[in-house]
Amino acid sequence: MRVALFVTCLADQFYAEAGMATVRLLRALGVEVDFPQEQTCCGQPAFNAGYWNEARSLARRTLGIFQEAEYVVLPSGSCASMVKNHYLELLPGDEEALRLSEKTYELSQFLVRVLGVTELGKGLQGKTIAYHHGCHALRELGVKEEPLLLLKNSGAEILPWEAAEECCGFGGLFSVKLPEVSLAMADRKISTLPKADALTSTDAGCLLHLTGRMGKQGRNMRVVPLATLLWEAYAG
Amino acid sequence: MQVKAKLYPKEAARLLREHPGVREAVTGATLHFEANRKRAYQEIDAEIWRERARRVKDHLLTHLDHYLELAEKRLQEKGVRVYWAEGPEEAHRILREIVARHGVKRAVKAKSMLTEELGVNPLLESLGVEVYETDLGEYLIQLLGEPPSHIVGPAIHLALSDIQRLFHGRFGTPLDASPEALAAVARKVLREAFLTADLGISGANFLVAETGTLALMENEGNIRLSTSLPRVHVAFVGIEKLLPRFADLALFLPLTARAATGQRLSTYVSLIQGPAKEGEEGPKEVHVVLVDHGRTTLLHDPEAWEVLRCLRCGACLNACPVYRQTGGHPYGYVYSGPIGAVLDPGLLGLEDTYPLPYASTLCGACYEACPVKIPIPKLLLTWRKRAVERGLAPTWERGAIQAFSKVMQSPSLYRFFSKALRGLPLPQDLLPLLKAWTEGRGPLRPSPKPFHQLWQELKE
Amino acid sequence: MDAKSRILSRIRHALKGMPKALLPEHPHPALAQDPAELFLKRLAENGAEGHLVDKEGARKLLADLAQGLPGAAYGKGVPDAFRLLPELPPEEAPLGVSRALFAVAETGTVALSSEDGRRVQLLPPVHLVLVEEEKVYPSLLEAFLDLKSFPSAIGLHSGPSKSADIGQVMVKGVHGPGRLVVAVLQGSW
Repeated sequence: MRVALFVTCLADQFYAEAGMATVRLLRALGVEVDFPQEQTCCGQPAFNAGYWNEARSLARRTLGIFQEAEYVVLPSGSCASMVKNHYLELLPGDEEALRLSEKTYELSQFLVRVLGVTELGKGLQGKTIAYHHGCHALRELGVKEEPLLLLKNSGAEILPWEAAEECCGFGGLFSVKLPEVSLAMADRKISTLPKADALTSTDAGCLLHLTGRMGKQGRNMRVVPLATLLWEAYAG
Repeated sequence: MQVKAKLYPKEAARLLREHPGVREAVTGATLHFEANRKRAYQEIDAEIWRERARRVKDHLLTHLDHYLELAEKRLQEKGVRVYWAEGPEEAHRILREIVARHGVKRAVKAKSMLTEELGVNPLLESLGVEVYETDLGEYLIQLLGEPPSHIVGPAIHLALSDIQRLFHGRFGTPLDASPEALAAVARKVLREAFLTADLGISGANFLVAETGTLALMENEGNIRLSTSLPRVHVAFVGIEKLLPRFADLALFLPLTARAATGQRLSTYVSLIQGPAKEGEEGPKEVHVVLVDHGRTTLLHDPEAWEVLRCLRCGACLNACPVYRQTGGHPYGYVYSGPIGAVLDPGLLGLEDTYPLPYASTLCGACYEACPVKIPIPKLLLTWRKRAVERGLAPTWERGAIQAFSKVMQSPSLYRFFSKALRGLPLPQDLLPLLKAWTEGRGPLRPSPKPFHQLWQELKE
Repeated sequence: MDAKSRILSRIRHALKGMPKALLPEHPHPALAQDPAELFLKRLAENGAEGHLVDKEGARKLLADLAQGLPGAAYGKGVPDAFRLLPELPPEEAPLGVSRALFAVAETGTVALSSEDGRRVQLLPPVHLVLVEEEKVYPSLLEAFLDLKSFPSAIGLHSGPSKSADIGQVMVKGVHGPGRLVVAVLQGSW
């Protein structure tokens, strides 16, 4: 089986380790991994802000880049949903967009639903984890149980968190268009956050936003992309 | 009502800065409503109920002319006077005539968002009519001179202490008076108003075409009283509020209650057929005003018409983490929160409401809560797309997105910027976008090496 | 053109070429359990009180409620046997007694007709509602499908008047009765 990794621009720049973890994990599970060098951004920031022309040209070039891939895997729920759901709205009737949609997966979704892997190892034995459900993974992709299952089966304890399914306030351009509201939303998440060994999520944007806000408030906690934790689950 | 939606970003920021108590009150109240709704949805097969309700509403809307005429006919058969109004101007004329004909001195009003749209209270006051809002929350904000901040709970932005201070000034109650004591004071004032009012004014949750039945939902009893005691009842009904069949109420009443407050049914439902018959208590005259006010424009919009299914239950407000930070006031119009963000541009035009579709992170919680499955995130995206097409977006934003896209179109440019991000000191405080980010979150810290570089090393 | 013609013509213009949505049938009502039992349970959950009583039990219930009261207001359909107290106008009465058109188990609801009265259902602080056991429908849908004649107003009451508008604290008896008592009558009366 061959997978093309779409690392996403945000992870490429700010969470390179999530990309590395994804490659290592997939290879360890016997999957060949390609990384098409031409890839950049899926176009979501432009799409969500209303700039459909700009988003459409980024979508078109992304379609071309991943045309030959058997599967496309992203360590991001939000970008995966952009490719899987919103390309179809940007390019209605486009068969290539439909094909890409059908072979695109967020990492944990790919592991559980395509590879059928639910146990990676016991590398997270005794660790406590706060899991933030990224909104697009949760509500647009329906990825809810997959990450929790993989984490639990590797010995981690998912701590109850009343705001686990609430939006963190990142929202792409939202975070700078309405910064005060965005920060108030982060504060609600952080004020209810349980004391855990790590805070994790599928989405780099949410983590960047929450890490920054927690840093500003002097709160120290390990914040780490899901892919990294899943690799730790495997490698110990 | 005056539209101040353009000020949303500024007003939201100001409110968070100057009145942090509002965030606390609204968050507490909406989380409570939202938890109740979730429990109430779990008790039923919510997906089937919502889908059925969506279909009934879609049928109604795609046959709206037929059902409006049927409703008018049924209402008239029972002696109800029916009027049609394009908007405030005609609605005012109709109301002015009724007030003059009956020499109305005092009116009791049941909470209605449509009457807020139409500015009914200012009109009545200008005619010398004493108007009492009788929903407790609505009464509180009437005393304060504020617009409602939530469709169902107009005063949810107020803390108990705010109301204690208000009543202390108004009625001389102690500053530590209990909610029961405060409610008793309001009850006394409003009971007197019910017993002496000449006119009762209401909206309607539903108007059944088949039987000409007005259905109104509430928990306090003020709607029942407002539509029972005064000798004249005027109901303002948005043309999208119709239902085809009487038995459709058996779905829509409990579904609305579950969505709005998590109840199986609201404590009171008034099913009004017309004026009191011989020997019956009740209003001698019932008037129904069917109001358009932008709704036909929406119906004509194939990308946005689905918002007309809205039941005004407020579930999307309760589910919305953006709304929860400020309540409804910064949105600057009657309808706030997610539904306001997709309804207001349709009713008032995008030019006057530009920022509202951006008052969302597209998290999708509103869609999950909506009892008639209005695709709010999809509609938000549609209005944003139009805002950009019509050149309403700020120049800095347009420039930033176009530059971003240019870079992302070209792997070599992308790699160049990737290096610059690490090599050069970022002008963190110069670019407005960066500044807006870093002010609340500290500087951006890229990974020491980007992944695409690590991949090369991995291969070598 | 008047407003009606203008609005209707805009609607027709908008609907031209728009696919028409079909109207779904009403669902089949769920299989009925014992509706009276479910009704009492739901009333209690709504913060109301329900009692399944025979004629004697109903009179005793009324006598208990009437204790120490100067009078009561009555709906037109309340039989003489239940008029234990002198009649007072609803504005002054500490107790209102009504006879319901029907009741609904799944929501814990009594349906009150304007033919029985209106003030009596709303103004006194305590409201006693009489309803025959065979008039308790399992569901709202069955009740509504069965409803053939309409008085000028029907009030569906499912509990005491309440509001949480003041500081999110639940207060009862805001405008309507703060206490709702329902007597479900067994047998003939």
